[in-house]
Amino acid sequence: MPAKKRTVRIGNWYKSDDENVHFVRKRKAPRPAKLRKIVPGQVLILLSGRFQGKRVVFLKQLKSGLLLVTGPFKINGVPLKRVNSAYVIPTSTKVDVTGVNASQIDDDYFKRTQAQRRKNEQGFWAKRGELTVEQQTAEKTRLDGKRNTQKSVDAALITAIKKTQLLKQYLGARFTIGKTTRPHELVF
Amino acid sequence: MVLAKFVEVGRVVKINYGPQEGKLATIVEILNDKRVLIDGPTTGVQRQVIPIRRLTLTKFNLKGATRGARSGVLTKAIKKSDPFAQYAQSIAAKKVAKKALRAKLNDFDRFRVMILRKRRSALLSTQLKSLKKNAGGKAQAQAKGGNKKK
Repeated sequence: MPAKKRTVRIGNWYKSDDENVHFVRKRKAPRPAKLRKIVPGQVLILLSGRFQGKRVVFLKQLKSGLLLVTGPFKINGVPLKRVNSAYVIPTSTKVDVTGVNASQIDDDYFKRTQAQRRKNEQGFWAKRGELTVEQQTAEKTRLDGKRNTQKSVDAALITAIKKTQLLKQYLGARFTIGKTTRPHELVF
Repeated sequence: MVLAKFVEVGRVVKINYGPQEGKLATIVEILNDKRVLIDGPTTGVQRQVIPIRRLTLTKFNLKGATRGARSGVLTKAIKKSDPFAQYAQSIAAKKVAKKALRAKLNDFDRFRVMILRKRRSALLSTQLKSLKKNAGGKAQAQAKGGNKKK
């Protein structure tokens, strides 16, 4: 077997710029996280963020891999929301979602608009009314649209939820851990 | 305190350690102060020597079990008077069953249990209040609530 020769190249080529070119990984299309047996209609417990401990209904997995969930909003204040499946406990309780139409909602639904981005740029010092009149009306219609989408998605869900006793109250309550609870022994 | 549960031939025992944990058997022979021979032909326990430390004695006895009796003899005796069925009716067995059930509850079940307990407690307190009022302070009766707790 021919021995491998290690050649060291001494170049005559010196880079004129001080630019350090880092190794750039070729961007792969985001792979949607594998869903660990979470089924549409399943009740999930959110573990992080503003809605920690809230029990929400899972609708579908979006292309980005995040899970689309909703409170429903009327029941526990959680709107249509994207959630990382790693920060979620799936419970074995399932709601009937055959009447729910969430096909219109995808990652673009959650994209920040120009107006929102501008507001964020200004940050703490942003004054109300910095938006032009047309931007404000655009915002208003956008928000109204969101409210309507929320209502239409939740309507079928809420009727399904009302069929089971105490399910509405269950979704309205937060999951908590007390002194004596042993999370590793709990069956969800 | 009078000792009532003896390690004796015929004593129904519960195995509380090992691969057969939770199963019932009968003591067939006492080998020394630490080991016994047990057998449970109807409960799926193979005839074996086991340290007493791994057993909990129940208050039931298998009538007709003789020292060193073979599995067939035991089965006949069990057919005549089944102490295992009696054990299943006992409070101890029910406690075990309750514990097992509680361990299986899922999140929604636990929530429902919590709500039902609150409702039962509310019922009890209203009953008690009304009894106290009626009896004029001499109330002794404890109202029994309606709901069965899981």
